[in-house]
Amino acid sequence: MRAAGERLYGTTDLPVLLPPGERLLRRASRERTDGVPRLTLKAWHGAVIAAVVLLAAAAAQAQGAAEARPGVLTALWKWVPLLVEGFLFNIAISFLGMGIGTALGTVLGVMQISLLPPVRAGSWIVTQFFRNAPWLVLLFFCMFLLPFEFRVMGFVVPFPDWVKATLGLSLPVMANVSEIVRGAVQSIPSGQWEAAESLAFSRRQTLVQIILPQCIKRMLPPWMNLYAILTMATVLASVVGVSEVMTLTQRVLSAESRPELLVPFYGFVLLLFFMYCYPIARFTHKLELRYVVKL
Amino acid sequence: MIHTALKRFGCAVATAAVLATGTVTGASADVLDKVMERGTLVVGVKADYKPYGFLNPDGDIVGIEPDLAQDVADTLGVELELVPVVASNRMQFLDQGKIDLMIATMTDRPDRRKVVNILNPDYYSSGTNIIARKSAEFDEWEDLEGVPVCGIQGAFYNRKTQREFGAKIVGFTGTSEALNALQQGRCAAFVYDDSFLASRLQEAEWSEYNMPLQTIDDAPWGLAVKHGEERFARFMSGMVVKWHVDGRIVELEKEYGIKPTPFTQRMHELFSGFVPKEEG
Repeated sequence: MRAAGERLYGTTDLPVLLPPGERLLRRASRERTDGVPRLTLKAWHGAVIAAVVLLAAAAAQAQGAAEARPGVLTALWKWVPLLVEGFLFNIAISFLGMGIGTALGTVLGVMQISLLPPVRAGSWIVTQFFRNAPWLVLLFFCMFLLPFEFRVMGFVVPFPDWVKATLGLSLPVMANVSEIVRGAVQSIPSGQWEAAESLAFSRRQTLVQIILPQCIKRMLPPWMNLYAILTMATVLASVVGVSEVMTLTQRVLSAESRPELLVPFYGFVLLLFFMYCYPIARFTHKLELRYVVKL
Repeated sequence: MIHTALKRFGCAVATAAVLATGTVTGASADVLDKVMERGTLVVGVKADYKPYGFLNPDGDIVGIEPDLAQDVADTLGVELELVPVVASNRMQFLDQGKIDLMIATMTDRPDRRKVVNILNPDYYSSGTNIIARKSAEFDEWEDLEGVPVCGIQGAFYNRKTQREFGAKIVGFTGTSEALNALQQGRCAAFVYDDSFLASRLQEAEWSEYNMPLQTIDDAPWGLAVKHGEERFARFMSGMVVKWHVDGRIVELEKEYGIKPTPFTQRMHELFSGFVPKEEG
């Protein structure tokens, strides 16, 4: 007897969306094979991290309880608006970096499947170079190579640090998106190309109207993974002095000059990132399940 | 003799300050013109060095140095913009023109004078000392031989502590991390600026600790402007003289709850003795 999922997949080669019942059945059959329940994170797991942070705070509070100083939570509460503001800055950097990186990366990715050998080779070199360079090194390059202001026709256009950091972070994103696009296009079965050709589609039409729309579905999960990674990498900007959440935390800690605050404050930053990135991870996972296809 | 020199210097600076704020000498636009034109003075200050420059919960940088910067902006009649700097980028920012003036706890050292124009006179001073548990009973620097000592990465006295006194330096990026390590016993002492350590020792949390050694390498801190900005440099020297005359820095030290350093007190006494008090 065939498993429920297999029945459905065995009959079609087209990308199909599994109904929820089928998904559950697939999962149950896998769990029977493994003999253990499959581990999946739920939203309440975030509460566990929150509890750890609170516990650390409480422990620190107990340490400092002998002194007549405001408690750790009171201290944290005072700085929350500032830290959240810093975190929103991180998110802004990640949005902008992802936007720039995706736009450039898509072009670069399509260039990688060009029929012209020089274009293909050039874009391949650029992609490989930025994909295999440490993010922090690229960040430093952008920070110290770019000027802090431009003069355009007599106007002074400021070029602040955070813009430079965003550009620095968008370079590796560009290279990764380029690979995602190339991989997705190449993963489309050649039958699609051949069918389009037989219907007298030009190469450009085939790419824009047939291949790329099919790619978007399968590019979405890795693209979102990349976004989550980029968001977590925005704290690298603290190394070059951008006033994002990590830099602010360091400054806040030296303003408080209370060593016992170290763990609760960094814990809070951890929690902020978790609360933002975890739903993205969940959503990506869901999308991946929906687009599980056999071609 | 030193007093005569000081007196002459004081007069020259006062004259220069008057000249500087007077008519434009016709030279190409310098930083002072630029500041007046855009209506803001951009000053680089520390944002992680309580009480010289630190954050308040609104996210503004406050402290002794931001207050001094505000004095300068008020004197020029322009708005003040503070840019947080760290030891590794402050001279570069000044050189690039990203900041007009640097008041960032920078020790006045000959090699730095080559890179930026460090103004005379210096405005502050601090030396190197350690903070350790009272029970550790360090008496002299040589006692640190073979002992793990916390330090801040990039501080120039780490090397000295390591090479001359044989201490094992454990490097940290920030003071809170280093102090935390000291409390956890990952190092036996923390080597840093004595002015910073002294202000920590006033807090109840550090009652078990002391600063047992003789302060070494007492070195002055200087304001800095870019090389070639002579007019602005003369004006700023005038500002520093004025601070010493008024006792402004001693006043700020008291306001931020630290004991006035011998340096600022001495400078105040010296300078106020040579500039006649305003009458009326």
